[in-house]
Amino acid sequence: MPHLNETKLEVPSGYRSGIPARYVWQLDDQTRRLFEGLEGATAEELSWQPALGTNTIGMLLAHLAVAEAHMAAVGVEGRPDSDVVGLLGITVDDDGLPLPEDGAPPAVLHGKDLAWFRGLVEKARAETVRIAKEVTDADLSRRIVRPPRPDGTQRAFNVEWMLYHLVEHFCGHSGQILMLRHLYRARQPV
Amino acid sequence: MPTVEREVLYVPAGYASAVAASTMAQLDDQSERLIKDLAGITAAELEWQPGPGQNTIGMLLAHNAIVEVLWSQAGVAGEPIDTEPVLGLDAREGDGMPMEPDAAPPAHLAGKPASYYLDLLERARAFAKQKAMALRDDEMEVIRSRTRRDGSVNEFNPRWVLYHMVEHFAGHYGQILLLRHQYRDRARA
Repeated sequence: MPHLNETKLEVPSGYRSGIPARYVWQLDDQTRRLFEGLEGATAEELSWQPALGTNTIGMLLAHLAVAEAHMAAVGVEGRPDSDVVGLLGITVDDDGLPLPEDGAPPAVLHGKDLAWFRGLVEKARAETVRIAKEVTDADLSRRIVRPPRPDGTQRAFNVEWMLYHLVEHFCGHSGQILMLRHLYRARQPV
Repeated sequence: MPTVEREVLYVPAGYASAVAASTMAQLDDQSERLIKDLAGITAAELEWQPGPGQNTIGMLLAHNAIVEVLWSQAGVAGEPIDTEPVLGLDAREGDGMPMEPDAAPPAHLAGKPASYYLDLLERARAFAKQKAMALRDDEMEVIRSRTRRDGSVNEFNPRWVLYHMVEHFAGHYGQILLLRHQYRDRARA
């Protein structure tokens, strides 16, 4: 008898709208897959840098948490600013992204183990769930305009775009993390 | 006056299901960004392999096109998988994935320019939209299946398939960006 692998998207309950509920399910599915893929990763691997100026797995995990905490607050809840430090205990800059061309990983992340990074992602997710549960169907098209950036650009988006962006942003970096694991395993001894 | 960057999801018309329409809008958003990020890429960079057994950007682009057609057939429409008539690439061999540990990229992708891969992606998307337009909300939970090459059976519903099409595309898009970064760095190494 063949081995059965069943994949379904099940909408969680407790949300005012089914649409944010589905996006949160997608984020949770991505998170589960990502940490399954990271099983056995040591602190050394998490801080391994293929070359100066290249992100580490740890930096990308911290970035996922920081970005989600910030984007859910300003892009979904519509607050003027986020409180990343209050939520995660690290600043928005502590992920080290973007690194300068010859940049080394930030010292604040050095030696941190997988459980520490997972804790960051879980804290950010808990806040995203709290925010997403209150989003209504009418909120999805709500336009949010952010203050101008120092470079003169300004971002405008709607809430549903931000929910989609939270998912695709997570997926893109997850793909990079899996590739970094591949590179770590294939690295040449120094 | 600041330059405004507008990010909105416009759900396209003509779809039987708003969920399917939103998924296609998300995929189009991904493609638009990917095409911008591929600006200036040469055939040499598309076929550059960081090490034996590692995917090239060209392989990942072909893979994304094949997978989009494959899931549109098996997952969205519930039809047999046959990507060759749509893309000219076989679902099992066309992208060279998964690679053996010491393998080189597939010979049939050698020297292909960006326009070749962009055309593949465009054809895959047109096909995906055609299938997605007909998908109804009451079909979202229907269980469909496919048999993998190792003989295992994979069951899924169209709602999961639509999500998977986006997350799969986005994951490999992230890897393509990392490969571009590695390619630029190779001269410094």
